[in-house]
Amino acid sequence: MITTEVTLIELASLMKKAAGVSVDPKDLEKSSDSPFGTLGLDSLGLLGIVGELENRYSHPLPPDAERCKTPREFLDLVNNTLKSGA
Amino acid sequence: MTTQRTQRPRRAAITGIGVIAPNGLRADAYWKSVREGLVVLDRITREGCEHLPLRIAGEVRAFDAAALIEERFLVQTDRFSHFAMAATVLALDDAGLGHGDPADPYDIGVITAAGSGGGEFGQRELQKLWGQGSRYVGPYQSIAWFYAASTGQISIRGGFKGPCGVVASDEAGGLDSIALAARGVRRGTGAVVVGSAEAPLAPYSMVCQLGYPEISTAEDPGQAYRPFTAGACGFAPAEGGAMLVVEDETRARERGAAVRATVAGHGATFTGASRWERSREGLAHAIRGALDEAGCAPEEIDVVFADALGVPEADRAEALAIADALGKHGTRVPVTAPKTGIGRAYCGAPVLDTAAAVLAMENGQVPPTPNVFDICHDLDLVMSSARPAELQTALVLSRGLMGSNAALVVRRGGDSAR
Repeated sequence: MITTEVTLIELASLMKKAAGVSVDPKDLEKSSDSPFGTLGLDSLGLLGIVGELENRYSHPLPPDAERCKTPREFLDLVNNTLKSGA
Repeated sequence: MTTQRTQRPRRAAITGIGVIAPNGLRADAYWKSVREGLVVLDRITREGCEHLPLRIAGEVRAFDAAALIEERFLVQTDRFSHFAMAATVLALDDAGLGHGDPADPYDIGVITAAGSGGGEFGQRELQKLWGQGSRYVGPYQSIAWFYAASTGQISIRGGFKGPCGVVASDEAGGLDSIALAARGVRRGTGAVVVGSAEAPLAPYSMVCQLGYPEISTAEDPGQAYRPFTAGACGFAPAEGGAMLVVEDETRARERGAAVRATVAGHGATFTGASRWERSREGLAHAIRGALDEAGCAPEEIDVVFADALGVPEADRAEALAIADALGKHGTRVPVTAPKTGIGRAYCGAPVLDTAAAVLAMENGQVPPTPNVFDICHDLDLVMSSARPAELQTALVLSRGLMGSNAALVVRRGGDSAR
């Protein structure tokens, strides 16, 4: 059972690493229902984050992961998958 | 007034020049180095290249991509696009167009030429593929290493939504892209950001170039690239390039921009890879085509920027092509090849030469051909130091290793009293 949860802080650091998008975790929390596009993250950037997480947690994510529109939607899906998956 | 304007054919003006070259990171710095005949060819210092039998090139040093390009564009692009994006901002500033949020985004297009795409980025991701596995390859691999990457990123970054294009070609593609931009402007596009920058100095890209019989493997920067001489032993490669703003002349004048030059004529032919003897006929035909489109007599050409490959057979073919196309004038007109100081930046090379041609006309000086001191062809090659001359019309020549030949005629702008 995976106890680690992917947080907004981790997502912010992944956005920076995978897509060069700098966003303060606090701001990300405030805009967690905003579309990724308005945060400056394009679809390839999100795909890169999905790949990073899959490698990091050695766990595949569903195809829907890269289609998520907002940070909250994405983290909910990722964390539900990681919790239930293992 | 309006009737007259619609009846008069639109002319393509060069209103902005942005240069990222081994000998200068702006057009003015580049021109100063070119005019002085500065040689920056040197040992290749890029990591992972030291052991390769290609020693001498023109590296763009002191280029700080992170200081010039936003991080989200940096992570998804190769060095060749970094150069192109940086040169674009310089060209737009020079044209007084500003950068980002254009008033009419559909009125500005982007065209770049590329000879090899993003080799360094591609190598890094392919190493992940074979070293760690497919799950470790980043998604930006799908766009960064392609020939079209720079056009796409420039258009996204600047918000340019006009007609865009990519010339995937050999060296001559640099001139073809300028011609394509001029054609777009004549057909109604307000302005086109056009040019080429290349980044061939990374391990994978360099290994690819080792297969070219024309590449110089000389160890001495002073000897590596000396076209038109008896000691010619091939060419030294370079990275970098230039971007231009090509704009409807009337539009430029109406907004008060200086018309630095006009793109008057272009011709292009193909005579086969490394068949240099045949390039004589092909290049001569391209020159005639360019003169014809420009409505320009051979005697009107005031300076020729030569392709200057540095391979004896190719140099001979070029000298003969100039004579074939320009007649007696071909042996009298000043010819120069400033690229011998920096190397050949593939598609970027003839765009740099076009920039140099515009700057030469503005400054009334034919820049010299560095490292070349005695030639064995019937040409008036300008050597040692710049030669003062009244220049109204320049002819820029380019040939590619894969067999393309191109010629471009540019005329002085008239109000470029810089």
